Amino acid sequence: MRYTSFTPYDFVLLAQGLGVSLALFLATSLIGLVIGTIWAVIRFYRVPVLTPFIAFLAELLKNSPVLVQLFLVFFGLPALLKINVTPVEAAVITLSGNTAAFIYVIAVSAIESIGRDQIESARVFGLSRWQVLHHIIAPQAMAFAVGPLTGLLVNQLQVTSLISVIGVVDLTKIGNILNLRTLKPFIVWTIVGGLYYVTAKLVALGGAMLEKRLRAHTAWKGL
Amino acid sequence: MIRARGVRKSFGSAIVLDGIDLDVESGEVVSILGSSGSGKSTLIRCMNGLEKLDAGSITIDDFDVSRPKDLAEARKRSATVFQLFNLYPHMTAVQNITLAPIQVLKRSRAEAEAAARTLLDSVGLGARADAYPAQLSGGQRQRVGICRALAMNPRYLLLDEITSALDPEMTAEVLNILAQLAKNGTTMVFVTHEIEFARTISSRIVFLDKGQLVVDLPTEEFFAADGGMARPRISQFLSKMRKD
Repeated sequence: MRYTSFTPYDFVLLAQGLGVSLALFLATSLIGLVIGTIWAVIRFYRVPVLTPFIAFLAELLKNSPVLVQLFLVFFGLPALLKINVTPVEAAVITLSGNTAAFIYVIAVSAIESIGRDQIESARVFGLSRWQVLHHIIAPQAMAFAVGPLTGLLVNQLQVTSLISVIGVVDLTKIGNILNLRTLKPFIVWTIVGGLYYVTAKLVALGGAMLEKRLRAHTAWKGL
Repeated sequence: MIRARGVRKSFGSAIVLDGIDLDVESGEVVSILGSSGSGKSTLIRCMNGLEKLDAGSITIDDFDVSRPKDLAEARKRSATVFQLFNLYPHMTAVQNITLAPIQVLKRSRAEAEAAARTLLDSVGLGARADAYPAQLSGGQRQRVGICRALAMNPRYLLLDEITSALDPEMTAEVLNILAQLAKNGTTMVFVTHEIEFARTISSRIVFLDKGQLVVDLPTEEFFAADGGMARPRISQFLSKMRKD
């Protein structure tokens, strides 16, 4: 006999799945943020060889489907290098790399959005390239980047659902399991979708709050 | 002193500076006049190392701006005020002024801020010390720009058309401050279109035309009928500027 009704334990399952999705999302966003920013800084210093290599790598990552990248890492890497890659490792590698590529693009345009004139005046006053990056470019580039960054992260949260395909037990995988057992797809996927929605909303809300703080100096007083 | 010898600079096929020789001694106020495109601003940008020279040399107190090792020292001795202010929009007036003293001269924050507030007071902006550039008028922004330069205690002040983006009233605000600085003996290289004002504060006038230094004369002589005015190019320029 098949047990098709929902049980309280299902909520524990859902919470676990959400936890896995969130943890992977936060970890890969953080790693992607660090790597993408480092790539953009390398480009800012116009490091020879590395700069064009990074641009090429970012192009590859941006212009191919995440699912294909995931399969390449999960099935392709072990076959090529004769190593063992767990589903979670494959998920972390793929999502971090993919996020890094998009964060690189945002960071580069944010750095380039800062007027040449300010950078020139800071240099004339004797600030080093690093001091200019730290005191002039970074604070303004962050304010510029928060908007696109929030959009990207909301999207990357949804993209994490792809990792269920290689067997990571994330929120989508739990949805799949519950669906197969209860045979109530409309209810299960509405709940799963709702959980993603609420999480994405929280990310967007955090971004909006941060943006407001970072843009304090351009806030309209009056009018 | 600032010493320029045989300075050449071109952008693509356009020759902007075509062999400039110029000396500015301590305590002098040297105004550089000339039509738009005569190379005035480029000369300033060569002095503060923003443009690389194609040929020739510029030294500030014997520090060669073309040598990366010397440039830092040359830049400590000179400070630039820009035509379009070039303030940092995410920083308040005080933060704009204290950034370089803290980061480059390694002053303490308290010391740098006290100095900045004194400077702002002296240009009548004491009450606006914590305003962002976007909240200031053009004239106020340029006064902050001047304070930012003065906060470095420079031996030489390089002023690049600092009133060109201001209306006459705001121009007067800024020029009053310059007059005071000139009286106190600040050394200035003053690129400008404010001919009458240049006449009142300058010890020497330099006239550039098509990248060449046409004359370099004491102010009196420059405006004398048998001095600079005897040159058709200069009298033509001056009469045109005065009509506007």
